[in-house]
Amino acid sequence: MPSVDNQPLAGCRVIERSRSVAAAYAGKLLAAMGARVVLLEPEEGSALRRAPPWLEGSQESALFAYLSVGKRSSVCDLRTPQGQADFVLELGEADIFIDDTPLDERQACGLEPESLARRFPELVHVSVLPFGASGPKARWNAEEVNLLHAGGEGYLLPNGLSNELFPDRPPLKIYGHFSEYQGGSSAAMCALAAWWAVPAEGGQYVDVSVQDAVLAVGAFALQRLGDGSLEHRTTRSFRYGGVFRTLDGYLELLTLEDRQWLGLVELLGRPAWACEPALADPLERSRRGDAINQHIRDWMARHPTEHIVARAQQLGVPAAKYRTPEEVVRGEQERARGLFGPATLASGREVEVLVAPFQFRCTPLLRGGAVPALNEMSRETTA
Amino acid sequence: MKPLRSPLAGIRVADFTIHAAGPFCTHLLSQMGAECIKIESRTRPDAFRKPHAVYGRMQAATFDQVSANKLSVRLNLKLPEAVALAKRLVAASDVTAESFRPGVMKRLGLDFEALARVKPDLVMLSLSSSGQSGPDSHFAGYAPLFGAWGGLGWMSGYSDGPPVEMRHVMDHSAGMHAALATLAALHQRRRTGLAQHVDLAAREVASAMIGDALVQASAGEQPQRPGNADAAMVPHGIYASNRPDRWLTLAVRDQGDWLALQGALGRATTDPRFASAAARRAHREAVDELVGAWLRECDADDTARRLQAAGVCAHVSWNMQDIADDPHLRARGALAEVSAPDIPARLAVGAPARFSVTSDVGIRRLTPTLGQDEDYVYGELLGLSRAQRSDLESREVIF
Repeated sequence: MPSVDNQPLAGCRVIERSRSVAAAYAGKLLAAMGARVVLLEPEEGSALRRAPPWLEGSQESALFAYLSVGKRSSVCDLRTPQGQADFVLELGEADIFIDDTPLDERQACGLEPESLARRFPELVHVSVLPFGASGPKARWNAEEVNLLHAGGEGYLLPNGLSNELFPDRPPLKIYGHFSEYQGGSSAAMCALAAWWAVPAEGGQYVDVSVQDAVLAVGAFALQRLGDGSLEHRTTRSFRYGGVFRTLDGYLELLTLEDRQWLGLVELLGRPAWACEPALADPLERSRRGDAINQHIRDWMARHPTEHIVARAQQLGVPAAKYRTPEEVVRGEQERARGLFGPATLASGREVEVLVAPFQFRCTPLLRGGAVPALNEMSRETTA
Repeated sequence: MKPLRSPLAGIRVADFTIHAAGPFCTHLLSQMGAECIKIESRTRPDAFRKPHAVYGRMQAATFDQVSANKLSVRLNLKLPEAVALAKRLVAASDVTAESFRPGVMKRLGLDFEALARVKPDLVMLSLSSSGQSGPDSHFAGYAPLFGAWGGLGWMSGYSDGPPVEMRHVMDHSAGMHAALATLAALHQRRRTGLAQHVDLAAREVASAMIGDALVQASAGEQPQRPGNADAAMVPHGIYASNRPDRWLTLAVRDQGDWLALQGALGRATTDPRFASAAARRAHREAVDELVGAWLRECDADDTARRLQAAGVCAHVSWNMQDIADDPHLRARGALAEVSAPDIPARLAVGAPARFSVTSDVGIRRLTPTLGQDEDYVYGELLGLSRAQRSDLESREVIF
């Protein structure tokens, strides 16, 4: 049975100061695995409480709900002596401190890594900034759209069908906060790595950059550059496969192995063009990719998505429906795995929130919880 | 030689992962100092050792990022003796990682339950497309399918266009989340001494990237694909400059940014439609048209620098050559120049972060040749004699 005590990070104490999605997501991931995460907020509350998308009718932030379930909230203004005193008390009990305060503001807030390291020698102090805390662009500022493009992936989107349909449009960002989530995931990962080293090495300062994280997950494009190929959104499409319009929606199809190609030929009903002996050679299929895709498109447009996907999976052909958020929330697979947990918003409204994109099979994660009301910790203390 | 100071020094990983997501996970652990032993065979070598025609790569890769830092051994897991040897390797390691389709490790006799018998405090990572449980757990998939299943593909795209397929960033994001969860399991082992089986579904990582939209959907709403627009920030998006295919990304967060933008560009507008953030949100298209006209005459690189100096979030849409040439990324060690006797100097992704104390993070060695570390792994770690290894090789157990 899941319990507070048997969670992977039970006993881990985290202090989070966040105005960026990256830092907040790092805290969310640690909280989901059982760490006690205290969100230190300014008097007016974290800016993320007001960030879109908002739930209809209430103007409550769906983003903040996602990022803050299971955290605690305490107001702490570091520009006041009382705030400093509270902060020192909190840090004295913390294992990990996640902070995204811009460099120019750190001194005034007493957040410089050297002074924190002297006072808290066992603390893992993780800085999460758009371009990191060191290097010539450390003081540059950025939002998601800038970061996805500073890390190289934005320039490469969209590829495939979308690029074919709208070749003259500007590049496209990935939905939401993809880059910041990479930065947050990297920050949480590096925090746990540094915490692992504490018994041998003591605490330390970890400088995480969202741009670095985007580049890291885009490593393959850099590898291609080293191979002599500068990738571009117009040319990095799969030679065949990709996004297909079906009779009633869209699906993704990708056959990388010979047996998957043979399954696809079967799925398409063994048409004459696909049975040509030359197409037994994967390199030849690659050369004729455009023609193959045109045949597949014609066929897909005549068949319903669910039918294609079900048959494809039977035949071992990797194919997936492009599912809407509503379909994901209602999905049988997601329900069976308990991907979502009930969450109560500060207004009392009930929603469901994705718990974490991983499971611990020996000690399942606790699911759901409350979105912390601003400063609920001190309200509890004074009540 | 001075010993390395890495955060994960002393951690050993038995690495059975294949494709991109799993190997990226163990590569990250290796970058932070874990000793990672990659297990392949001559009959089933890793994908980078072969042509990859669908990606247009017609020969083996000369350098493979996700294999860097790893030690390589051969093991033909179709044979029982090889499975027994694999178990010894697992018992000598802290972490076992695999990314086969669910069921494959069990068929090999290397599932969590079997391995926990030889390693009671086993930390095992299983990374798959849909997870180890549920009706879809047997589905095969790659990055674009993870994005499709998870909802990220649907939510990404032009508002009036089709969904967009995710590429390797999706694999690698799954790998990074897997590395995080694996480290959490190691901490749990340190605290409790107990085994843990981490089950990562790559499609759920794609869903985690639309966590806000899923909250909306759970409340009965139908989130719409926003393209490059932002609900709060206007102007916001990707704008053409005075050079073809040289785009400027821009995010104006508030009124101060809006005024700073005009100042930096030497422009001014008194149009009431643009006078406040709320007004601009009500006239998005007109704002985009105006700002687009201003920026079309500008040099994107120079403008990004000037806007940053004025405190406005701006950056050029960079291609990989821009990134390769960036002194900032090099100064941070995020870009590392690597070379080997048969690999001319080239750039790779370096340290995932800068650690102030355990600062030896990043790439230490390049892509291993198949089986190059068997003297150390089979000889030193498992204690096999030269004669025993020759015998196993002759019977294609080590193969």
